[in-house]
Amino acid sequence: MKRFLETGNFAITEGAILAGCRFFAGYPITPATELAESMSLRLPQVGGVYLQAEDECAAMHMCIGAALGGYKAMTATSGPGFILYADPYGWALGCETPLVVLNSGRVGPVSGITGAPGQGEFYLMRYPTQGGNFETICLAPNSAQECMAMTVEAFYLAERFRMPVSVLADQLITDGFEDISVPENDDEMKEMGFRVWPREVCQGPDFYPATDELDIPPVVLGHNTGALCSDWTPTEEGYDIEEVEAHHKHAYRLIYKVRNNRHIFNHLFEKKHMDDDPDLVVVSYGTPSRVVNTAVIKARQQGLKVGALRLINLWPFPDEHFNRKTKYLVVELNWDGELVREVQRAAPKDSKIHFLGSCGDLPTLASLIEAFEKILKDEPLARKGWELEEW
Amino acid sequence: MNHKIVVQAVKDLGLEVADIVWGTSIGCAGRQTFGTWKGDGFAGTHGRVYAIARGLRIALPPEKKIILTVGDGDAFGIGLNHLIHAARSNADMTVIVNDNLGYQSTGGQYGWTTPQGSKTDSSPYGMFEPNLMSGVMDVLEILRGAGATFLARHVAMDGAWAVETVKQAILNRGFSLVHMPYPCPTNFASRELGSRNQVNIYRWIKERAAPLGQEKKDTIWATGIWHDASNSRPEFAQLVHETVEKIRRTGTL
Repeated sequence: MKRFLETGNFAITEGAILAGCRFFAGYPITPATELAESMSLRLPQVGGVYLQAEDECAAMHMCIGAALGGYKAMTATSGPGFILYADPYGWALGCETPLVVLNSGRVGPVSGITGAPGQGEFYLMRYPTQGGNFETICLAPNSAQECMAMTVEAFYLAERFRMPVSVLADQLITDGFEDISVPENDDEMKEMGFRVWPREVCQGPDFYPATDELDIPPVVLGHNTGALCSDWTPTEEGYDIEEVEAHHKHAYRLIYKVRNNRHIFNHLFEKKHMDDDPDLVVVSYGTPSRVVNTAVIKARQQGLKVGALRLINLWPFPDEHFNRKTKYLVVELNWDGELVREVQRAAPKDSKIHFLGSCGDLPTLASLIEAFEKILKDEPLARKGWELEEW
Repeated sequence: MNHKIVVQAVKDLGLEVADIVWGTSIGCAGRQTFGTWKGDGFAGTHGRVYAIARGLRIALPPEKKIILTVGDGDAFGIGLNHLIHAARSNADMTVIVNDNLGYQSTGGQYGWTTPQGSKTDSSPYGMFEPNLMSGVMDVLEILRGAGATFLARHVAMDGAWAVETVKQAILNRGFSLVHMPYPCPTNFASRELGSRNQVNIYRWIKERAAPLGQEKKDTIWATGIWHDASNSRPEFAQLVHETVEKIRRTGTL
């Protein structure tokens, strides 16, 4: 095990290399630029290829091309670049191309502030492209070390599910320096829970089976298997077809291969002080969860019966965590409330759902504890600007 | 017609099904050719097939050929940025632009090589904007400036002559593009010529094409090889792999 004081971007790069990634295409954008830079330095050292693309749309398409040729490939960006992925993301979902896509969130909308963290793409990670009839998988780490773990995991899931898998980080995690351990051999990888799935080649003739089955190798070109891949509704052999029945089979697979196999990744969450049915469950993901965890520990010391639930697997949304009727407080880095809507949908009808949003900065420990106290005492929530509201 | 020219060129060169990965785009040119090749193939989203092909080029062995049959809207409209970067990097691919003089699969709107003055569904008074077909604005000149190593223009009626050109395009280990206008009797001709009779649009195109150097006053398409710098610049994937290998071995360039 090697230890470093390094950034999340460094951790993601090393994680990708450990997972077998040998192709990265990207376009400079704060705060994902350093990841591209670190890939351009590290990939050639291990025989991998870094390409700078003319835009994010081309970057992800290049990754698709490389993946179709047999490479494990990855691209990374921030929100304003992520929207240019809409086109290739849909292609990769439809054509079942394994890829890893990283989004380092910054405050928006549009360009917003380059150097401030944000969580405005919660729903964009679920709906990264148009058309519907698909499920996505998204993982959200909250530290540099976990950035590495989730990058490795994303590659693993991408291969097994035959689809692009996204990692949603934010500016504080990817740019911040932290203590990072990098495993140096397979035993150390196993010890750290890192799973790796090798790239194989689908031999056909059924390239797009109409089942929810996993572990079907992806379609790879250049092996003369007669493989076809396109953005059209495919027959099982890959030919394009304009028939609703064929589209039913296609859509069924894209949705249910994920929904029916959630057990492979639904252990990706973290609970703190949740064993004694707390009166208030604080829900978060990414960087704010670090402040939440501290606040919950502090609140417990003050005798407040508060627990913390941190989501790592964001999509498909893990409804099972919200089956208890209680009070919930959802903490997010936005003012419009995104995760809170999903919690509201998943929780029992008469649960009390509250929202604490911050815009461009983290919530403070004091503001969190004040919110816990008020919610637990059923006091009317004093509305401080947009910060705290009864949802 | 154009597809037949390309397949004939492939056959004449003695290439096998396994030697080629075939890519297509959206629109008439894409839908008509996707899945017609017995070997491996792919279809890109609109305009992005050049970016996919560059990624694929890195992953494929150098002896595998990538042939892309695309439309004029795809190459010269939505995909022009990607096309220019494919030319700049000299990625080994042969792009055949099947130009039916506009966006015909959506009913017949003008495109970027639609002859000026043409009446289409979106230029009912005649196409009055400058197109990419004259002087230094000719799309082939733009691509020459961007670093393409083989560029040619033919009309579909050029037959055996076009086959010879496409053969040379495929043999260039770098970025090749052959621009091949072909007749669309259904939409373009019915609006511009007021006739769906195939003979009329064939004649209309043929009369407006002339070999390079023999252009007449009303020539729209000067045909033949515009630029042949075959194998004069390093090929993209080869350059990338050699560079990576050197860094891997020595830690520097």
